[in-house]
Amino acid sequence: MARKSSHALPKMALVVHPDMGVLSNFQAALGEKGFVTIVARDLPTALLAITQHYFEVAVVSSRLAEGGDGWPLAGVLHLVFPSAFVAVIEPSEPDVLTLQSAINYGVREIYQQSAPPHDIVSSLVSQLQGSTKSETRKPSVQ
Amino acid sequence: MIKQPSILLVDDEISILQTLQMVLENEGYRVVTAQSCAEALEVLGNTVGFDAVITDLNMEREDIGLEVARAAQKVNPRPAVIICTGYASVTNSRRALDIGVDYMAHKPMEIPELISAIRRLVTRRGPAWRRA
Repeated sequence: MARKSSHALPKMALVVHPDMGVLSNFQAALGEKGFVTIVARDLPTALLAITQHYFEVAVVSSRLAEGGDGWPLAGVLHLVFPSAFVAVIEPSEPDVLTLQSAINYGVREIYQQSAPPHDIVSSLVSQLQGSTKSETRKPSVQ
Repeated sequence: MIKQPSILLVDDEISILQTLQMVLENEGYRVVTAQSCAEALEVLGNTVGFDAVITDLNMEREDIGLEVARAAQKVNPRPAVIICTGYASVTNSRRALDIGVDYMAHKPMEIPELISAIRRLVTRRGPAWRRA
């Protein structure tokens, strides 16, 4: 007879950033919030991770090997995991074109490189919780 | 049964409205037009099953297209929401991101790019009549 497991599956997060120190800080911050975090320093490793896990959160640096190459990866993450919270880390304050990229690639939030990973994780977890609550409400025209 | 995907097109400039309507109908979409935010909200309140809503930003007043986008997000089934504007700013783009707009095109826009974005967004969602 099949038995229902009492253990929920762990929430998975992917962090893609070329800096090992940043990855380590994100892994610690996400771990505190109950996420199992997979880290990748480059595009091939990130793509491999996408084929092997189901992610609820993804944080991608906009610059992996060269400026802006993190955006298409964020777009791929949104296509593969449509309900995931995909965030991009930008080196500077977002301008109109950066915001347009975020919208068109399905990115939910842009964070600045200078923000501490703990603050970014707190922000994205609260937004994730907020969106989960709003998705449970039945939508209607108001 | 094949049903045409439908689009609500909102712009206060009649020439843009007519041009886009013609282009979209040529691509196989059923197009309903509205010339103001107020008219668009009325259409959204009375019509179920748009696959996409494409709206201008500045109509009766600046950035009022965001009201159309916000109302479209609350419709069930939720259509893809696209903003076309010639007056993008950090403020209105930020608000569009926060609302959850699916695509933002800056005027003058490349029609093939817009068509491709609409097709991608509508296909990914599946037909609205089936999701209703």
